[in-house]
This record gives sequence, C-alpha cells and structure tokens, in this order.
Amino acid sequence: MAEILIKHLVKSFGKVEAVKDVSLRITDGEFLVLLGPSGCGKSTILRVVAGLEDADSGEIVVGGRLVNFIDPVKRNVAMVFQNYALYPHMTVRKNIAFPLEMAKKPKHEIEAAVRRSAAILGLEEMLERLPEQLSGGQRQRVALARAIVREPQAFLMDEPLSNLDAQLRIQTRLELIQLHARLGITTMYVTHDQVEAMTMGHRIAVMKDGVLQQIGTPQDVYRRPANIFVATFLGAPPMNLVDGTLESVGGGGWRFRGQNVDVQLSPEVLSPPELRHEVEATGNVKLGLRPEHIRIAAPGEDGGLPGRVLFLEPVGSDLYLTVEAGGGTVQVRTDPDSPLQQGENVSLLFDPWRVHVFGADGHNLRRDAPSVGAQPALAEAAS
Amino acid sequence: MSAEAAERAWDELTLSPAEYRRAGARYRQRRSVRAYLFVVPYLVPFLAFLVVPLFWSIWLSFNQGGLLDSAKFIGLKNWRVIGADTELTTSIKNTAIYAAEAIFLVFTLALFLALLLNRYRRGSNFYKLALYVPLLAPAVLVGLIWQFVTNYDFGLINVALVHLGIGRVNIFGNGTSALLAIVGAEVWRGLGFWTLYFLASLQNIPEELLDAARVDGARGFQRFRRVTVPLLRPMLLFAVVIAIIANFQVFDTVYVLTQGGPYLSTSTLVWFIWKRLFAFQQTGQGYAAAVLLLAIILVLTAVSFWLLGSRRRRRTREA
Amino acid sequence: MAAPGAIAEVTEAHADYARAARRNRLLGFGKGVAAYVVLTVFAAIALIPFVYLLSPSFRKSYELLTFPPQWIPHSLYTGNFHHVLHGTSYPRWALNTLIFAGSVTAVTLVIDTLAGYAFARLRFPGRSLIFALVIATLMIPTAAVVAPLYIMISRLPGWTHSGVNTYPGLILPMVCSPLGVFMMRQFISTLPEALVEAARLDGAGEWQIFRKIVLPLMKPAIVVLGIFTFMFQWVNFLWPLVITTTDNMKTLTVGIASLQGQFVTDWGVISAASVMTIFPMIVVFLIFQRWFVQASMAGALKQ
Repeated sequence: MAEILIKHLVKSFGKVEAVKDVSLRITDGEFLVLLGPSGCGKSTILRVVAGLEDADSGEIVVGGRLVNFIDPVKRNVAMVFQNYALYPHMTVRKNIAFPLEMAKKPKHEIEAAVRRSAAILGLEEMLERLPEQLSGGQRQRVALARAIVREPQAFLMDEPLSNLDAQLRIQTRLELIQLHARLGITTMYVTHDQVEAMTMGHRIAVMKDGVLQQIGTPQDVYRRPANIFVATFLGAPPMNLVDGTLESVGGGGWRFRGQNVDVQLSPEVLSPPELRHEVEATGNVKLGLRPEHIRIAAPGEDGGLPGRVLFLEPVGSDLYLTVEAGGGTVQVRTDPDSPLQQGENVSLLFDPWRVHVFGADGHNLRRDAPSVGAQPALAEAAS
Repeated sequence: MSAEAAERAWDELTLSPAEYRRAGARYRQRRSVRAYLFVVPYLVPFLAFLVVPLFWSIWLSFNQGGLLDSAKFIGLKNWRVIGADTELTTSIKNTAIYAAEAIFLVFTLALFLALLLNRYRRGSNFYKLALYVPLLAPAVLVGLIWQFVTNYDFGLINVALVHLGIGRVNIFGNGTSALLAIVGAEVWRGLGFWTLYFLASLQNIPEELLDAARVDGARGFQRFRRVTVPLLRPMLLFAVVIAIIANFQVFDTVYVLTQGGPYLSTSTLVWFIWKRLFAFQQTGQGYAAAVLLLAIILVLTAVSFWLLGSRRRRRTREA
Repeated sequence: MAAPGAIAEVTEAHADYARAARRNRLLGFGKGVAAYVVLTVFAAIALIPFVYLLSPSFRKSYELLTFPPQWIPHSLYTGNFHHVLHGTSYPRWALNTLIFAGSVTAVTLVIDTLAGYAFARLRFPGRSLIFALVIATLMIPTAAVVAPLYIMISRLPGWTHSGVNTYPGLILPMVCSPLGVFMMRQFISTLPEALVEAARLDGAGEWQIFRKIVLPLMKPAIVVLGIFTFMFQWVNFLWPLVITTTDNMKTLTVGIASLQGQFVTDWGVISAASVMTIFPMIVVFLIFQRWFVQASMAGALKQ
C-alpha cells in the first residue's frame, strides 16, 4: 500500500518559513494536486518527501515506512522535474535505463523494462537519440519513462507541464491522466495552474504561505471554498467580492447590505449561531459571487443589482463583462451573442443560494463550507 | 478507539523529539562523511604542504637555524636584524617599483592591444598566437633570451643602437636601467596572457550597451570611459590582485639576468629571501622576510579590493 | 511634381553626402591600417627574440663576441647542440620535467575535481569555511613555504632516506594549488542542480553521480585545468631549484639556468639549449592552440 502521510511538517530556509505545520494524507493510488502561488511551499513539501531537503520537524511516511532519515533512492519514489533533468550526454535509452543500472539489475531485465516503459510512452523510435535532439514534449515523456521504469511506490511531479507551450500542455495533461489511470500509482503533483489541478486531481490541496488552506475534491474546493484565498484562486475569471455588512433578520435569516445591494440570505445558507457572534464583533463582510452565477437583465429589473458595463472581453466561447456595480467592479460571464455595448446600464440577477459570505478574517461563513485546513479523506470527500 | 477515530489519528507523530533529533543527526552524519571523502584527497596535501609550512615559517622566524640543524628559539632577534637591514628595505623598494612599473606597463599595453583585437578581427588569430608564444618559455629562459637582447656585446638593442650610430649602452651598468631590463623581460613575457584576458573581458561586454552609447552620441573615448571601464571593473580588480601576487614574487629573471646586481639595485624580496635561506644560511632572517612578504601581499590585496571595489559603490551613487 | 530647383538641391546634398562618406571611409581605412601596423609591430616584438636565438645557437661562442656580430653564419655549426645533448644532462632534465609536470597535473586533476564537486554540490558542515580558507591561500607566496617544505621533505620521519632529489619529493608539494579547486567548483556550479538531484533519486551513490553524470559534463573544464597546471609546472623554477641539488634530478628550468653558472660565457650552448626547449613547445602549442587560448580566456570568463 503506497500511502503517503505527511505529519506536521515544518521547514524553514534560514529566516523564511516555507512550510508551517502541514499535514497531508494521500491514499494509495490517489492523484493529489498541491496547488498554490509561487512561494507557497508546495515545491518544498515535494522535495522533502523526495528526500532532497530535510524536514525541520514532522514525519513523512511512505508505504508504511518512516522515510525522514532514509536516502532518497531507498524511499522508492520517482520524481519528474520541471526541467526534465535528462542526462544530456546519454541517449534516451541510457537515460531510461539509468535507475535500473544503479540498482544493478541484470541486463536482460533492464532491456525489457526499458522497452516496456518506452512503449507506454510512445518513445520506441527515439531510443537512440540524445536529449538535445528532442522537443519539449518528447523530453517530458522520457522523464516520465525514466520515472516509471523503476515501478516506484509513488510519483512526485514538480510542475512538469510549465515548460510546454499551451497546446502541448493540454495534450500532455490528457496523457498524464491516462497514464495514471493505467498505472494507478500514488501521485503527488505540484502546480500553480488551477486548470491542471481541476482536471487532473482526485483531490486538490490548496496552499498559501506555507499553510494548507483547504483540501478536497475539485468540486468541493470550487463550490465550497473555505476562505477568500481559495475562492479567488480557483476559477477564472475569479470570484467577485462585494463589500458590505450583515444584519440579522427575524426568523433566523440574514440580510447583506452593500452599496446598492440588498440580499436576503436564508438560514440554510448562513447558519445563525456561530455567525451572530462574529458579525456582532465586526460587521464587515464580503459577498462572493462567481461570474457564471450572475445573469444580465434589463436595467431596473426587480431585485437586481444595478450596474454599468465598463469593458467587454469576448473570448469566442463566452463573453466576459466588467460591470461597475455594488461599489466596485463585478465580472460576469454571459452569452457571446449578447448585444450589449460598453456604457450600457444593466441589472445583475443572481440566485442567493449561490452566494458566499466571507467574514473579516476571510473565512467562508456559509453553513456548508469546511473549516480551513480540514482534511476530508478521499472517501469522505467524494460523498 | 473506534475505527473512525483511529482513521483520524493518522497524523500523530511516532517519534519523540529526542528520538527525532538523534535519528536526524545520524542521517546527516552519514551524508557528511560521504562528502568529506571527496574533499579529503585535496585537503590532506593542502594542509600538509601549504598550511602547515606557512605556520611553520612563522614559527621559524622566531628561531635560529632549522634548515640543516635543529631550531633554537631566539625571540624577536631575527626581526630586529632584518628591520635594520638596508638590504631588505632596498629589496622591498625594488620589488615595489618593479611591480608598479610592470603592472602598469603590461596592463596598459594589454588593454590597448585587446581593444584593437576586439575591433579589428581579421587575422586576429595570428596575432593572438604570436603574442602568446613568449608565455611558453619559462621565466628562466626568458631571462636567458633577454641576455641576447640586452647584452653589452651582442644584444639586439646594442646592435641596433650601433647601427643607428648611437653608442652602445651598458644596460646592466646602473640600477635604473637594470631594473627596467627586468621589467621589460617580464612585460614581454606576460603581454600575451593579459591581452587575451582583457580581450575575453571586453567580449563579455554586451554589444548593445556600446551601440546604445553610440546612438546617444558618445564618441570613441567617451564610450570607453563611461561604458567599457565601469563594466570592466570586476575583471580589472581580479587582474590587479593576481598581478600583484605574481609580480611581488619575481625571482627567476633576477636569478638569471642580474643576480640582484648591480649593487643590489635589482634585488627583489624573493631574491633576498632565497639568499638568506639557501645561500647565506641566515635562515631565521629568511623566514622573517618571507612572512613579511606574505604580509605585504595581504595588505596590497586588501587595498586593491578597497580601492577598486568601493569606488564602484561611490560611482553608482553619483549616477 | 518636384520643382527643378528642388531636384538641384537634392543632387547637391547627394554630392556632399558622397564626399563625407568618402572621407569617412578613408579615415576608417587609415585607422584600420594603423591598427594592423601596431598589432604587427607587437607580434614582431613577441617573436623576434626567438628568431634571434637561432643565430647564436648555430655558431661557435667566441664568434659572438666579435663586434659587430655577424648575423647569418657562413656555415651551420652544430657543435652547440651536440654539446647540449651529450655534454650536459639535458635529456635527463627534459625527462624529469616531463615526469614532474605530468604527474602534478594528473594528481591535481583528480583531487581538484573531487573537491570541486564536493564544494559545489554536496552539503557538509564547514563547507563555506573550508572553501574560504582554500581561496585565501591563493595569496601565499611560494617563497614563504619552500624552506619548511624542504625541511619536511628532507627529514620527515618514516622516510628511510631524504626525500630531496626524489620524484615524490619534487611532485607532491606542488599538488595543492587552490586555483584548480576554485575553477572546478565554479564550473560544476553551472551544471543544473536538478541533474544531480535526479541522479540521487535514480539511486546513484555520490561516487556514481560524480563518475557518470558530473565528470562527462566537465570535459572542457578539465582540459583547461590540465593545460594550465602543466604549463605552470613546466615553468616552475623556485621549487625545483630548492629541492633538487644533484644534476640528474634537475628540471629543465633549473638545469638550463645552471648552464649559465657553469659556462659563464658559452652563449652558443645556452642559446642551443634554449632553442631545443622552446621550439618543441611552440610546435605543441600550435597543435593544441585552441585549448591554450581557452585556458587564458577562462580566467576572465569565470567572473
């Protein structure tokens, strides 16, 4: 069972705290994505699991073994680097064979394994070439072949797609997903690209400044973000935030008031008990709305938020509008065939069920939002 | 504990802090040992043949004898003797004059030639090779070759002078020209190396910067002063430091050409040291002088760093 | 439709421009010629003394003292060369120098690459400190250590006899130049760190990483260091002077210098010995010129 357990990992580089007490559990066969902006500590975690850095404190368990003090190779994990790290003076064949040669496997075994890996990644015709003769995508595949040839317990991937151009990235993403489906090896995948995270991961672990923000399935993390950071990091264009205050309303409900905004929120959306305390303490909250959850209606429409169109950004499949409303700007996704013009007045409609409310400290106050850093296991999360 | 609770306890640590620290230390130690194995083959000779002898020299400067017999501690006596020794002060003076002249001359010429080679590339390969050839000859040989240039009877210079109708010159007759002869020999020998060095440095300067300067209206010399020189500064500093260290140890040509003469006018520090240590057997003084040489080099290196380093900071503040 | 006057103006401007362009071209040409003249002069200065050597080497020594000396000998006298080869220990000196420079180079390359790799890519306590110490010793003048080294070599316990006038005694102390370690470390630092990390994960031990990954990628730097070291030891004078006292252990530098002492005025022999030493070096240099030039420029580029 190749489960990876990261228990209370702490790692600093000099004065910089790269990872502040992160705990993570990756079940056997899971594809977990570590997502976050640069400097959030995701690569550090990966490198500590690989053995390329030492943890200051905290335990790393791979396949039931404590690996903190074991040499990288003996951990039986394979890593794919951002720059592929292919040995430039060796042919593709020798690159792939290298780990097995180091393990002193007999020649015929090595040959067979190399052929197998090359076949899986479609490299049969390139075995005698040198890395400098290959394209980026091909080099990536050689790096993968070298990783799988050892039949490791786990894969560690450090932004492997960042150096590929956009189209190749999409193609390779699919190939990676297929590869994982085929081999079923536990994978820890680091990226800053939320599209990769959403399409590839069984679960996503969102990180910021060395702290785990939220972990859950892509749907979880998207629909029920734990805080403002997660809410705005996932989704492009990002979730809109509108400033305002909360008032309690008779019957246990709430009322959000901002500039020109007045929304009734039922107690099913925002749970009363904890909230009352918080709201009485601060009062200032932000309303969160995703661009795709807002509808454009004729100005003056009943119950809508009045606004004025500032910019239009057609992207072919959709039309993104930047609308001045509620004391700030709001982005709306709408039909590309819309006849709207710049400067027009519109009314914005949305379903109050879809709304998120974030407290002054960024926490999502919705009743069904998880707490920051909660760790539903894969089984729980999928339910 | 229920199965669920056990599931949730997965993040409990298994090692106590003390155990963790011990295991960590053992792991790091294993790694360090492997690393040390790589450095040891170098460090052993390094310590044995460089560091230890250095400190030994310092120790021996407070002793008498030690080369062929056992050492006797005599405190500061050696230092007082050489402190009063005019031969030493002369040697230091000569070395300093020589180094200043040689470095100035060779750098100026090398920079000039490098600029030419940088600009006029055609056939530059031939020139580079030609300039390099003197470097192949050991300094001793250069000294001997220089005999053929400077000798009173058949040296190139005197032959040329006679042909031109001017009388012969005894280059080794007086101190100044003798020292200049040494300077000439070493400059002649080292020109190739420094030319190539400065050429590489110049080629390191991105062409765009000079183009931008030209577009901004800077003339040739202005471009040189305002763009090239500041960018060359780190290379120049490195060159000066190396040149000082090397030139203050000038010995081979003196041994062959002048043997310190006439009347000690070309006696350099290393010549002085060598004489004391091996010729006159006044070893204590030799060690003291050697330590003095080291001290001088350290001071000059520090001064070079200060002069050429911080000025950069001052300049950029102006700009 | 342009007016006729305007056309006349344009043509006049053209003529002015052409005149200025011609002047510029002439100036550029003049500058170019001047530059090449200067370069040729310096190249000549560099080469002429070697050529000048050829003449005395083929003549009897006393002929040199006739004044003014004759340049082109009437007949080629080979006695000088004969004397150098058979009357002095020149062949032995050449052999010694080859063994000396070659051995120092071989040992230096091995230990410098190993240490350079450790300083660049391995983590161990005291790494920065030790490296700084190594660099600091660049400033140590040879003169400060030759005497203690002599004492060491001549009297080290465990040696059954004095190490003076032996090959190991000659070679070993010259093996620890800090410059080589510095160069190797700088070069290895430029290799991508991910390569070494990937190799670690692939199961290579540090020695295997060094041998199979790092070394093959270091070939140019190794050649440069090899040439540097060989040349430096080839021209080494002070140390061999100190540590070899018998004639048959001297290196070329010391041996030829001793010719001056022995044959105070036999310039013919001296010039013959010089010619025999230098011209083969020139040939070797021309064959391997690319590497030699790179060795010099490497010093600048490492900044």
